[in-house]
Amino acid sequence: MSTFHNCRPFPPATLPLFCLLISRIFPLEAEAMLKFAIRNLFSRPVRSILALLGLTVAIAGMVGLFSVAEGLDSMVNTTFGRIPGLLAMQPGAPVPLFSSLPAEWGEEIEEIEGVSVVNPNIWQRVNLINNEMVVSPPRFLFGADISSRLALKADVYRDDMIAGRYLTLKDQGTRNVVISKPIANEFNLEPGDIFNVNGYDLTVVGIYFCESLLLDVAIILDIDEIRSISRFGPDLVSSFYVETTKEFDDEEMIDRIQRVFVGRDLPAVKFSSQNIDANPIQTVANFFDRALKSFGSDNGKNGGEPEDRPINENNSHPNEANGKATDSEKTSTSESSGMSQPDAINDEEFFPLEVRNANDWAKRFTRFSRDLNIFLAVLTGIGVTIAVLSIVNTMLMSVSERIVEFGILKANGWTKTDVLKLVTFESSLLGLAGGVLGCLFGFLATQFFNHYFPTRAQLYASPELLAFSLAFSILVGVIGGLYPAVWAMRMMPMDAIRRG
Amino acid sequence: MIRIQNIRKVYQRGDSEVHALRGVTCEVAENSFNFVVGPSGSGKSSLLYLIGALDQPTSGDVQIHDRSLSQFSNKQRDEFRRNQIGFVFQSFNLLRNLTALDNVLVPYMPVGISSELRRRAQELLDRVGLKDRMTHRPNHLSGGEQQRVAIARALLKQPQMVLADEPTGELDSATGAEVFGYLRDLHAEQSTTVIVVTHDERYIRDTDRVIALRDGKLAV
Ligand SMILES: Nc1ncnc2c1ncn2[C@@H]1O[C@H](COP(=O)(O)OP(=O)(O)OP(=O)(O)O)[C@@H](O)[C@H]1O
Ligand SMILES: [Mg+2]
Repeated sequence: MSTFHNCRPFPPATLPLFCLLISRIFPLEAEAMLKFAIRNLFSRPVRSILALLGLTVAIAGMVGLFSVAEGLDSMVNTTFGRIPGLLAMQPGAPVPLFSSLPAEWGEEIEEIEGVSVVNPNIWQRVNLINNEMVVSPPRFLFGADISSRLALKADVYRDDMIAGRYLTLKDQGTRNVVISKPIANEFNLEPGDIFNVNGYDLTVVGIYFCESLLLDVAIILDIDEIRSISRFGPDLVSSFYVETTKEFDDEEMIDRIQRVFVGRDLPAVKFSSQNIDANPIQTVANFFDRALKSFGSDNGKNGGEPEDRPINENNSHPNEANGKATDSEKTSTSESSGMSQPDAINDEEFFPLEVRNANDWAKRFTRFSRDLNIFLAVLTGIGVTIAVLSIVNTMLMSVSERIVEFGILKANGWTKTDVLKLVTFESSLLGLAGGVLGCLFGFLATQFFNHYFPTRAQLYASPELLAFSLAFSILVGVIGGLYPAVWAMRMMPMDAIRRG
Repeated sequence: MIRIQNIRKVYQRGDSEVHALRGVTCEVAENSFNFVVGPSGSGKSSLLYLIGALDQPTSGDVQIHDRSLSQFSNKQRDEFRRNQIGFVFQSFNLLRNLTALDNVLVPYMPVGISSELRRRAQELLDRVGLKDRMTHRPNHLSGGEQQRVAIARALLKQPQMVLADEPTGELDSATGAEVFGYLRDLHAEQSTTVIVVTHDERYIRDTDRVIALRDGKLAV
C-alpha cells in the first residue's frame, strides 16, 4: 500500500498503475530507481513533455514514412501474389499500357504445350470521365477477350465482384463494363448506370474490388469494343495474359513461349496511334511514358535478368534469318510513333516478345521499395537526430540543475554507475513514452490516411515496424541520456555541495 | 579509532593553489562526540570530507580501524559511505522529488529497499518526531524538520560515524538545540562516533573532544 501512498502528488489514476506495473516487471532495486526516475521526470513536466513530444513526432514520422514502403510491399504481395499466370508483352515495356503485339500471336501461344488459356488484352489510358479530367489516381480501359477471360481458372477481377455481375458472352459487342469500386465511388456509379469515358457512353453492369491500388484501376469491357473507342487496330493487342496448366514451372514456360518467337520481327505496325493526339496533356504523358520506359529497359539490363540470356544468344542474327524488315524501316517506325521504342529494337540481340510472371513484377517493385527505404531512412534520420538532440538538451539541463542532488546521493553511498543508471532511466523512460505515443500516432495516421484517401496510397504499419520503432525510440532515449550522465559525473558533485 | 596522519589537502583554483589543510595529525576515539571548530576557511569541511572518503587527500592518510582509506577501491569507498558513514550537511540534505521517507531510504535505493529497512526508516522518522510527515516532500518541511530527516537517514545505516557539517547553521537556536538533542540521544543509544563542524560553541559539552583548526593546521 505504501507504494501507492508515495505516488500521491501525481495524477491519481495513472502513476500508481504505472508503479504497480513496474514493480511487477522489475526486481526490487530497479523498482525504487525507476520510481525515483519517474518522479524526477514528473517534477519538471513542461520540459519532459516537450522532449517527449519531439520524440513522439520523430517516431510517428518514422512509422508514417516506413508505412509507405511497407504498404507498397504489401500491395505487391496482395497484387502479384494473386496472379498465377504469365504476361506476354512487347520487350522493354514497363507495363502493358506501353506494349503492342500482333493479335495473331495469341493463337500461336495457345498451341504451346503447357498453355491452357490465352487472353488477349488491350490497355488504354482514360483521359476523361464524365468530362472531368482524370489525372491521379490513373484509370484505365481494359479490353479483354471475354470468351477466353471466362475460361481462366483464376481471374482477379471476376473473383472479386462485389456488385452486379461480371462480363459474359452476351456483353461482346456492347459497351457494358465492369468497374472497380474506387471508380464507382468516385463517380457515384451503380450497376445499371451509364457514364461517359473519353467521350463514349458506357453501361456499368458490375463492380469489383481487389483492395489493391494496382488492380482497382480498371474499366473492363469487350476487347473488340475497346477498339472502336480507342483506334486500336484489329490486328493489335497490348499483351496476352497466359494461364498455364502448371505441368511445367514458370521459368520453363517463359522460355518455351519466348522461344517460339525467336528471330521474329515485330511487324511494322503503327504503335498506339492514340498517343499522336495533339493534346498538351498527352504530350506531357508521352514524356513520362518515354522516361518510364527507358527506366524499365535500363533496369532490365542492369539487373541482368538471367532468363533472358540464353534466348538472346540464340537470337544473334534475327535480321538475316528473317530478312523481313530492314533497320531503316524499323527506325522510321519508331520515329513516327509517339512512344520511342526500346533500345533493344536496334540491337542485334532483339527478340520480339517478353514473358514475365508475377514474381518478376514483384521484384521490380521490391527494387523500387528498397530505394525508397534508403530515402525514407534519410528523412527519418533527420527527424530522429533532432529528437536525440532535444533529449540530450533536456537531460543536460536537468542534470546540470541537479549536480547538488548527485552530491547528496554520492555522499550517501551511490556510485557513479548508480547515478548514471538513474539519469539513463529517466531518458529511456522518455524514450519509451515517446515510442509508445509515436507508434500510436503514427499508426492512427496511417489508418486515417487509408480511410480518407483510399485511392492515393495504401499505408501499412506492420507489428514489426511498430516494435522496431518502439525499441529504436528507447535506444534513442538511452543514448540521449548517457552523455549528460557522464557529463554530470565529471562535474564533481562534492564541490557543488560544499560550496552551497 | 580514527587516525588522521599528517594530512594535506591542496585545491587547484585556476593557476593558484589553495592549501586547505597543511599537515593535520590527530586521533578520534570510538564512540566519542567530537567538534571541529575554527574560523571560516580554516579547513574544517575539508577535513570532514576526507574522513568521510568523499574526497582524497593530497598527502597523508586517514585510517579507520587500522585500515587505510587510501587503499580502498572505489567500490569499497562507496560501500563504506553507504554503510558506515552518516552525513548531515548544513543545507541541501534532501532530494526535493522524494518524500521524507524515501529521502531516508535513498542510500539503499540502488541496492534494493527491503520491507525491513522501510519499517526501520518509519521508526526513525517517528523517533525524530516526524511520524505524520513521512509522505511530505522537503519543500513542505521546515528547516528543522529537514535536518531531522537527514539525521534519520544518517542513523538508518547504524553507522560507525556520523559526520555533520554545520547542521544547525541555518536554524534558529531553539531548533538547533533540538537537532543537537537528537544527535546526542542517538550517539548515546547507538554508540556512534560523531564529528560535528560548528561555529556555535554553545552546544559543546565538557566531555566532548574539540579539534580546533587555524589556517589548515591544528590550533595550539
Ligand atoms: N573545491 C575547492 N577548490 C578550491 N578551493 C577550495 C575548494 N574547497 C575549499 N577550498 C578552499 O579551501 C579552504 C578551506 O575550505 P573549507 O571549506 O575546508 O573551510 P571551512 O573551514 O569549512 O570554512 P567555512 O567555515 O567557511 O565552511 C578555503 O580557503 C576554501 O576557499
Ligand atoms: Mg565548511
